Amino acid sequence: MGLGFVVGVVGVVILSHAAYSTIQYRSLLKIMEEEFSGPPMNVVVELLLGLVLCMWAALTVPGNFLSIKPDTDENRMVSLPGNLDFMIFNHRGKVFSSEMDMKLKI
Amino acid sequence: MAGHNDSSVSEKKSSQAVDDLPTFSAENMQNNMKVIYYSRTFLSIIGGVIAGILGFTGFAGFIFYFLIMAITSVGLMAKAKFSVHSYFDSWNRIILDGFLGGLLSFVLFWTFAYDIVHIF
Repeated sequence: MGLGFVVGVVGVVILSHAAYSTIQYRSLLKIMEEEFSGPPMNVVVELLLGLVLCMWAALTVPGNFLSIKPDTDENRMVSLPGNLDFMIFNHRGKVFSSEMDMKLKI
Repeated sequence: MAGHNDSSVSEKKSSQAVDDLPTFSAENMQNNMKVIYYSRTFLSIIGGVIAGILGFTGFAGFIFYFLIMAITSVGLMAKAKFSVHSYFDSWNRIILDGFLGGLLSFVLFWTFAYDIVHIF
């Protein structure tokens, strides 16, 4: 969470720097009286870098996928114990002596 | 009489549907959908800013959006370790969901960044 968030912030900062250098490039073109044909190379590189960083942040920050199958390890514990009506403390098995007691007697 | 027949038929159908229905954890499914919406919204905003800085106009920007969303879909699949059916009930969830809402944010931030960088 923390690392991904920091990476996303770095990506956004890189993108804003790319925007700023594009603005400067446009004003330079205005002074030299040339037409804008495309952003300079370093801006394109910065944009790609920012895109990769933000992509990584967007895929890691929101959290992990949880399995929806009922028979996976994460979903193995069903929510029966959460419902107090299903808790059973007394049952007829206690009148039979358990194997442990038999072993102790012998 | 006819009504009774219809109801029995529909009852039969619904019971069959219940039998055929695959069971899955709806809460985890909802969590996964939330993760997907988060990723898509954030990436469409970032894609809009990039398209605006690059100075795309017209159709090129929309093609760029499709490209970004395709890359996002591949990334989400990689995040699901390419076993989509253990995290989602259908492929459409991972490929199509959040597409239109993301398009609106994309256009908003595309025009915003284009105005800031190229017009003002």
